[in-house]
Amino acid sequence: MNDRSLAAELGPALGGRSRVFLELAIIAACFLALTTFVRLYWVVDILIFCILIMSFDLIYGYMGHLTFGHFLYYGTGAYVSSLVLIHLSPNPFLAMLIGVASGALIATVLGFIVVRLKEAPFALVNLAFNQIGFWLANAGLQDYTEGEDGLSSMAETVGFLDFTSQWSAFWFILICLLLVFWLLRTFTLSPYGIMVRSIKENENRVKFLGYNTFNYKWLTFVISSSLAALAGTLYTLYYGFVAPNLINPFGNVEIIFAVLIGGAGNLYGALAGGVVFKLMSNYLATAITRWELLLGVLLLILVFGFKQGLTGFTAKLFRRYGPGRKTEVQGNV
Amino acid sequence: MFETVVYGFTIGAILYFFSIGLSITFGTMQIVNFAHGMVYSLGVYLFITFLPWLGGVFPLSAALAVAAMLPVAYLIERFIIRRLYGESLDYAIIATYAVLLIGADLIKWIWGALPQPVSDPVGLYFQVGQVHLPVYRVVVVLSAVVLFLGLRAFFSRSVVGKVVIAALEDRDGVRCLGLDVNRNFSIVFMIGSGLAVLGGVLYAPIATAEPYMGFHILLVSFAVVIVGGMGNLTGTFISAFVLGMVIAVTGRLWSSAADTMVFVVMALVLLREPIIGSLSRLTGRRLAG
Repeated sequence: MNDRSLAAELGPALGGRSRVFLELAIIAACFLALTTFVRLYWVVDILIFCILIMSFDLIYGYMGHLTFGHFLYYGTGAYVSSLVLIHLSPNPFLAMLIGVASGALIATVLGFIVVRLKEAPFALVNLAFNQIGFWLANAGLQDYTEGEDGLSSMAETVGFLDFTSQWSAFWFILICLLLVFWLLRTFTLSPYGIMVRSIKENENRVKFLGYNTFNYKWLTFVISSSLAALAGTLYTLYYGFVAPNLINPFGNVEIIFAVLIGGAGNLYGALAGGVVFKLMSNYLATAITRWELLLGVLLLILVFGFKQGLTGFTAKLFRRYGPGRKTEVQGNV
Repeated sequence: MFETVVYGFTIGAILYFFSIGLSITFGTMQIVNFAHGMVYSLGVYLFITFLPWLGGVFPLSAALAVAAMLPVAYLIERFIIRRLYGESLDYAIIATYAVLLIGADLIKWIWGALPQPVSDPVGLYFQVGQVHLPVYRVVVVLSAVVLFLGLRAFFSRSVVGKVVIAALEDRDGVRCLGLDVNRNFSIVFMIGSGLAVLGGVLYAPIATAEPYMGFHILLVSFAVVIVGGMGNLTGTFISAFVLGMVIAVTGRLWSSAADTMVFVVMALVLLREPIIGSLSRLTGRRLAG
């Protein structure tokens, strides 16, 4: 089956333009509804986190490559944009551009070597690079990054975009999230996305069919890392403060948890996981003293009880009790 | 300089104690066992609790702490590790990490978050040239060497050891012979956990005990296991001492870079083949080797 017929087959799945807008509108409405329950400050925090989760879902959920080094790119985006704001220009768009570009550059260079590995070595080499980045931010480049004290920066107001106003920041970051969602949705449903998912299922077979899997893996690594860097730049612009915990390798664990809570390999799952995890860690951590204990128990239940996360669980319910259950022989996509 | 070398050997010995269990679990079950750090830190805290009860007798408290952690290790193996066999890498990591998290929070709950110091049990010093060094460090290094020899005998002589060594090579092959890999693995898992506790107890007088001590040593031990070859017991012994020396020497020259240097070494080992592949791709021809 060549690429073109694949695309023809996928036509209905992609949906018309109206379907895309409908999905984006539903997501925007959900986040707007969230602002009535949760303080706006936290909703923006959740939005940034969700962008990071979606970028991670591309490489982990769709391509099946678990990495412990995603925070390297998040932190790179944050630190570089902060340095641009301080030393070069207070324009937020320039800071975003250079922040994402630097993340992409590092991912291009490191990805060229790293994507030759898979499974545990892939995860651990990324962890090693992340640790090196953490050390650079914390101690190695202390003259530039101020070490543990962190960097404070201030973005100027451009038109409507004013990061000192909560609502202005909310709308801007929401639009960024919708763009990322749209981009990843288009990617993952395209022939490229089919290829990425095939690599997850059985890379040898994809190679056997004559495809150069290396290029697909490299490209996915760079896209995923660049989007993580984007989330990092948004963090800098919103908070105006960057500290080494933004590049700390232990942060990766939070991302993995969030993706698994929502269900890996599904953009809605990534969004749901990001929201649920952030709400849990913001509220439960203040309400319950033994928060880590509870999180540990929840994770054990999740791993042994609900492997597919929230989205998998609802899909199962839907298959069992929803309409059209006779056709479930189709298998899951 | 001599002080640095002794320090490097001491760290290497502790890393060796901790890494054996990790390496065997990785080799036989293909599971990255974060729960190992929980056994380690909980064992050290039990040791600190037992020490005043037993009138400060170090070996007795250590033995009691190891004995107390064996049932915990068994429960972890039986209900977490064994159920994860054949699962993908990430679920195993999440489940065992959850155990580590529960352990760290339990410690904070019971003993509080403040670091707990332990005094040097030997208390004697010896002198080489101008430097005074605690005899205790020599004891730690010697015990690691004794352990290495003991384990070699265990894995080459005893039935349990032989079965596990064979399972490192080919798990299904051993099962085809009618041998119960799970039961033998369970015993070796408990031995590995006991050694981790012992390593933690030996390390406690050098560093201090704190709730997140398991997280830190885990990261460095992953590097030890990777550099030594997963499931390679002699390789683990050598790489523990090499990386211990790397930590000591880097720490002496540039203290903040000590742990990072370990990861640089690990990355280089893992990337040996990919780097050769990248170079040959860039130059457009195959390189020798």
